[in-house]
Amino acid sequence: MAEEVKKAPKPVDVNSAKYKLGKIAADAYTDAFQAKKEGKIVAWVSSNFPVEIPETLGIATVYPENQAAGIAARGAGERMCNVAEADGYSNDICAYARISLAYAKLKECPEQEVAMPDVVLCCNNICNCMIKWYENLAQDLGVPMLMLDIPFNPDYDVPQSIIDYVSAQFWDVVAKLEELFGLKWDDDKFQEVTGFSCRASRAWLAATACAKYTPSPFNGFDLLNHMAVMVTARGKETAGEAMETLYKEYMDNHANGTSTFRTEEKYRIMFEGIACWPYLRVTSTGLKSRGINMVTTIYADAFGFDYNSFEGMIRAYCSVPNAINLEKSRDKRIKLCKDNNVEGLLVHTNRSCKLWSGFMYEMSRQIGEACDIPVTSFDGDQADPRNFSEAQYDTRVQGLVEIMDANKAAKGAM
Amino acid sequence: MTHTEIFEKLHEVALNPKAQMDAYLAQGKKVVLCAPVYTPEEIVHAMGFIPMGAWGGDRELNRAKEYCPAFLCSIAQSILELGMIGVYEGASAIIIPSLCDTLKTLGQNWKYAVKDIPFIPMTYPQNRKPAFGVAFTRAGYERVVAELEKLGGKFDNAALRASCEVYNRHNAAMRKLDEVLAKHPEVTAAQRSDAFKSAFFMEKSEHTAIIEELIAALEATPAGRGKKPILVSGILADAPQFNAILDEMGLYIAADDIAAQSRQYRTDVPAGDDALTALAEKFANMDNCSVLYDQEKLRVKLIVDTVKARGIAGVLVVMTKFCDPEEFDYVPIKRACEAAGIPVTIVETDRQMAHYEQARTNIETFRDMLMM
Ligand code: SF4
Ligand code: SF4
Repeated sequence: MAEEVKKAPKPVDVNSAKYKLGKIAADAYTDAFQAKKEGKIVAWVSSNFPVEIPETLGIATVYPENQAAGIAARGAGERMCNVAEADGYSNDICAYARISLAYAKLKECPEQEVAMPDVVLCCNNICNCMIKWYENLAQDLGVPMLMLDIPFNPDYDVPQSIIDYVSAQFWDVVAKLEELFGLKWDDDKFQEVTGFSCRASRAWLAATACAKYTPSPFNGFDLLNHMAVMVTARGKETAGEAMETLYKEYMDNHANGTSTFRTEEKYRIMFEGIACWPYLRVTSTGLKSRGINMVTTIYADAFGFDYNSFEGMIRAYCSVPNAINLEKSRDKRIKLCKDNNVEGLLVHTNRSCKLWSGFMYEMSRQIGEACDIPVTSFDGDQADPRNFSEAQYDTRVQGLVEIMDANKAAKGAM
Repeated sequence: MTHTEIFEKLHEVALNPKAQMDAYLAQGKKVVLCAPVYTPEEIVHAMGFIPMGAWGGDRELNRAKEYCPAFLCSIAQSILELGMIGVYEGASAIIIPSLCDTLKTLGQNWKYAVKDIPFIPMTYPQNRKPAFGVAFTRAGYERVVAELEKLGGKFDNAALRASCEVYNRHNAAMRKLDEVLAKHPEVTAAQRSDAFKSAFFMEKSEHTAIIEELIAALEATPAGRGKKPILVSGILADAPQFNAILDEMGLYIAADDIAAQSRQYRTDVPAGDDALTALAEKFANMDNCSVLYDQEKLRVKLIVDTVKARGIAGVLVVMTKFCDPEEFDYVPIKRACEAAGIPVTIVETDRQMAHYEQARTNIETFRDMLMM
């Protein structure tokens, strides 16, 4: 096909947030490979484990959830799930776990390779599924597992008993890592890392809060990609810097009346749940083609690890979205909807995630009522493509549009 | 009473939890529901309430669907359903621990779906063994105590210590029963299930008395013969159709690793003056369960060891559909059994299951494997 005329690739702007963030996310994988080569310690880590620990101790990190999302987005979710299922794992199990356990077995997947771990660091503040998944990883890979247990908090505020329990475990995990691998905790380094993490978190919160402007200076689907940096690299200096660039770009967009949502923003919605990675384009186009901008998601709030004391840090890790009760989860979303002038809520009933979806019916009813907005849900899965129907998605989104239209008309008529 | 008569009595109780609850209420007692997998029943008992197991029921789900997506296990969903349709009416509260993701959501839904029965959360630590874990369990228990005080319960250290002894004695009786039943293949799977299930619906000293009587009656009876001993593992194994298939296939349960059965009774409350701390230590000492963090997968080893110790022919995993903790454990259980040359089969069940053809086929193949 020599005669095919190739379009000149768009010049890459190495100063753009998109480039910087993409590079940080990609570097996270290559850095871990490099560390492995140099004989340094590599850990597989749950997304909401306190990164302050591995970063301070100089342990290279790999985030299996992020890897699984990447694999799913590149179309290999089903293939990897099949490998796990052939070993006896039920297809009811979270697809991230199935993909990860399949990788632990095969030790290869061209869609996203990762360095193999010397230890797995588990934190269950997002789900207890994580415990079972990591237990099996540790067994299969013959590496130690360290568990930082952050229980689901049934109360609105984090009680002192949880703070004490989690704080004690924090230092216990540090001591175990020091002992296992001959590492040394350094308080100055810890201070530095917490500084990076807070800086990245502050910039993230500021950038995502730009959705308060109408039209929003960004397409909410951007967040789903940029979030990878908050998962994998928020304890690194580069993350804060790149997030600040992102914030600045969004403010510039606002000043210039531009947006990364490159069509007229007719409706503003909140998207609830993890993205359907295998159908990112379909789900995004289904909104964009109707002029719907998904201006906010709970992720906007989820990585707000901005604190000014050790206890504040522990409290932040105890307050991640899946660790909090219905009322607190609801109020955070109501705030996002109100701050960002949201007109509708689109809920992903994610078959992989029992905890996230398990009280979503009731919570979204309450959010809809409190914000006076329509709520619609669709069935899907963040990584197993077999659990999503494009037709259903389309019908549900169309239904949401119709109610939002009716609401607009009613408001206009008043 | 003969053992058959005792089994009949236990069957009555197991079949009619509602009648049991109503009878306690009629005596002026207060009932507190205890959801799976573990709750501090000793505290409930010591504070003057009747702890009543709430593990759901075999019924169709209608109302629960207003709250639960279809992929939550039927145990949690049917607990909510029973709450919503008024079956638990009269109960003073429900204690729901957050030991799995589905149970976390059950507690949250309960607050809105069943407003007239207060929800008492019990938050257990997964790092339960170190001192900080024991302290956290104790704090969770204090929270339960405070909630029960609001409902008129009174806390007293000596009373709790006494209740711990009641429960320890019951544990011992249930462990002994399990040993004795292993030598009595003529006891049906349904009878065995009734003996365990009834424990959830009776005040524990009453249940201990009847189980001790059953043990004596069984020990006085010559053992039957001719069935293949198996170990069953899972959360629940109380469905009548399922148990009937085991009997029909000539299989008998010579040991169980069922959450609603033996897992409840493996660990006693240790000695100690501070009863709440002793009770927290009991939780610290518990192991061998899919909802208790277990890096070593000791549960898998226990299954293999029990099979060997009791001369058991094979392992039948009874999988409650959508129970992810058990689904994760199944793979290592299967691998370990295969490595040890132990036949292993899985059957999926749920509380709405009307058709057991698939289960029957699997169990038939399993039986054939054992006969080889
Ligand atoms: S998708 Fe849900 S179940 Fe899976 S790892 Fe994430 S929080 Fe846990
Ligand atoms: S059956 Fe499994 S998923 Fe359901 S409540 Fe029990 S442990 Fe949780």
